[in-house]
Amino acid sequence: MTLALTSSLLADLLGGARPAEWEALRLGAEGRLAGRDLPTTADEDWKYTDLKALASLSFGQAPRATVDISGHLLPEMVGTRQVFVNGHHAPHASCASAVQAGVRFFPMSTASEACHALGSVPDGGEPGLFEDLNTARFEDGAVILVPRNMRVALPLHLLFISKAEDPIAIFPRVLIVLERGSELELVEEHHGEGTYLTCPVVEVRVGEGALLRHERVQRDSDEAFHFGTLKAEVAKGGQYHSRTLSFGARISRQQPWVRLAEGADASLDGLALLDGHQVADTHSFLLHAEPHATSHQLHKCIVDGQARAIFNGQIRVAPHAQGTDARQQSRNLLLSESARMDTKPQLEIYADDVKCSHGATVGQLDPEELFYLQSRGLNADDARNLLTYGFAGDVLNHIPVASLRRSLRQLVMARTQADSLGELS
Amino acid sequence: MLSIKNLTASINGTPVLKGIDLEMKAGEIHAIMGPNGSGKSTLGKVLVGHPAYAVTGGEVLFEGKNLFDLEPDARARAGIFMGFQHPIEVPGVSNASFLRLAYNKKAEAEGRDELDPLEFDDFIHEKIKLVAMKEEFLDRSLNEGFSGGEKKRNEILQMAVLEPKLAILDELDSGLDIDALRVLGDAVNRLQRPDRALLVITHFPRILETIQPQYVHVLSGGRILKSAGKELAIELEERGYDWVLEEAAAGGLR
Repeated sequence: MTLALTSSLLADLLGGARPAEWEALRLGAEGRLAGRDLPTTADEDWKYTDLKALASLSFGQAPRATVDISGHLLPEMVGTRQVFVNGHHAPHASCASAVQAGVRFFPMSTASEACHALGSVPDGGEPGLFEDLNTARFEDGAVILVPRNMRVALPLHLLFISKAEDPIAIFPRVLIVLERGSELELVEEHHGEGTYLTCPVVEVRVGEGALLRHERVQRDSDEAFHFGTLKAEVAKGGQYHSRTLSFGARISRQQPWVRLAEGADASLDGLALLDGHQVADTHSFLLHAEPHATSHQLHKCIVDGQARAIFNGQIRVAPHAQGTDARQQSRNLLLSESARMDTKPQLEIYADDVKCSHGATVGQLDPEELFYLQSRGLNADDARNLLTYGFAGDVLNHIPVASLRRSLRQLVMARTQADSLGELS
Repeated sequence: MLSIKNLTASINGTPVLKGIDLEMKAGEIHAIMGPNGSGKSTLGKVLVGHPAYAVTGGEVLFEGKNLFDLEPDARARAGIFMGFQHPIEVPGVSNASFLRLAYNKKAEAEGRDELDPLEFDDFIHEKIKLVAMKEEFLDRSLNEGFSGGEKKRNEILQMAVLEPKLAILDELDSGLDIDALRVLGDAVNRLQRPDRALLVITHFPRILETIQPQYVHVLSGGRILKSAGKELAIELEERGYDWVLEEAAAGGLR
């Protein structure tokens, strides 16, 4: 078929053959894309994130590749991992032998269309452009199904690794369904080398009273472009706790969208650590659709060099969602003169009996804190580095998987020059 | 050990210390007392190099060396410690990591062996007994969410870890109940040695029942108005500060 696309990038990305399954979904996405172009900074939603660098490149199809994953293994999850390389399932790198009986954790390419409801997490508006690109062209990804009342003891590990000789485009797809009363911990990681575009889409359904803890780590290459979509629907009394940690990519954007039913609870935390010319954008949407749901959002950015970070946190409280308790904080640290942060809370409250709070700070390290550390014998550089580390460590300290927590602490220590301070906890 | 001569200092251009003279020898305990806003805390903060204050005149020698040649961290490594009235909270850095770092920086400066995490664990467990701190406070972020009393306990723990030559304690009793005050006062007494000096800054004389000074100075309006032995603290307890101020105004300033 021919698509009337004005952008050569979009035309290229959709140029390949349409994968066989999920045809209705793909046609819908293609139809919406036909009238669209890459957003520009004239679009309010993309005001601070300039995609010119992306538009100037052309991305080919992602070939199968082999990678050494030994550096990415986490001891708690050696037998509960599915690995995808360049978007393709890597059976030899994966190992699901320790996955609890009853839990289904398998590549999407082996799933039958009928067994689940892909693309069914509803949205208030049009799907985003990068979400539609994924829907039109994804080939593989993971499906996780946890049956009713099952508490999954071991965390599951999803590893997406990209290895690009020439620029390639990758569309990982993930569907997570937790049935009523079940509990799961999931670690989703993105690593890579070379120039590539990755547009993961993660759909989450948390059933009544179910609990999902979702750690998301973005360590893409410095030449990569990462546009991630997360859609989570949390049923009555369910809990969804996610933490998104962004370290890599030339330009990254995370768009989490979470809908809370009655009495549901969500936390949507984020940390971005940026340097050089990196851009990291988070546009989140939390919908308190029903009464008595609670949400917490702590988003932190540490911006150095000429990097820039963007946070746009939208919270909508529907008219009958009385008793809502929503708290949002955006805390940002600028480490250089030319680093930049744009943060915007966006609260839309249509109910009257609600507790909503938000706060945003952008600044340098607190001179009182620096002095306190110096007064105990740390020199000015060490004090600065320790405080910078602490600013990030505050988010990392709550990661439940110990080995992941340790490795991310080390990464942050190295990036904040706190590694000269020896072992910290 | 400490020699302060005609020290003047200001904050945002406003003079707060207007000519302080004070001599302290090793082994001595001095108390600085005075009404609120008298400049007591300022004196302590100027000695440890708080950046908000500008030294405008005078000199301070610590063990014969010009104190103002040293950055705040160098003063700390040289053996000066201040327990603050309002200790700062530092999220994300565990108390234990911070204490070990501070200990090792000082050990390094003195050419002693640094302690690895396991060695430090043994070391710190002895020290927390001294201030009756619960172990969980070691794993928590530095002062984060600590009550006023717990923060003070942590200040004295830091003093016990760093073993300073000159310790300045600013309003140690604020935020403390009577039992905690006794515990921390006893801890400070046990840390006192003939080669150390202690400067206790306090508004209320109560703490001086536990930590007994040899010398008491009344500071007001940025000047020391009266200096005497510990009996002065008892008199201040009974009569308040007004009589000292009136005596000074009447020309009784010595």
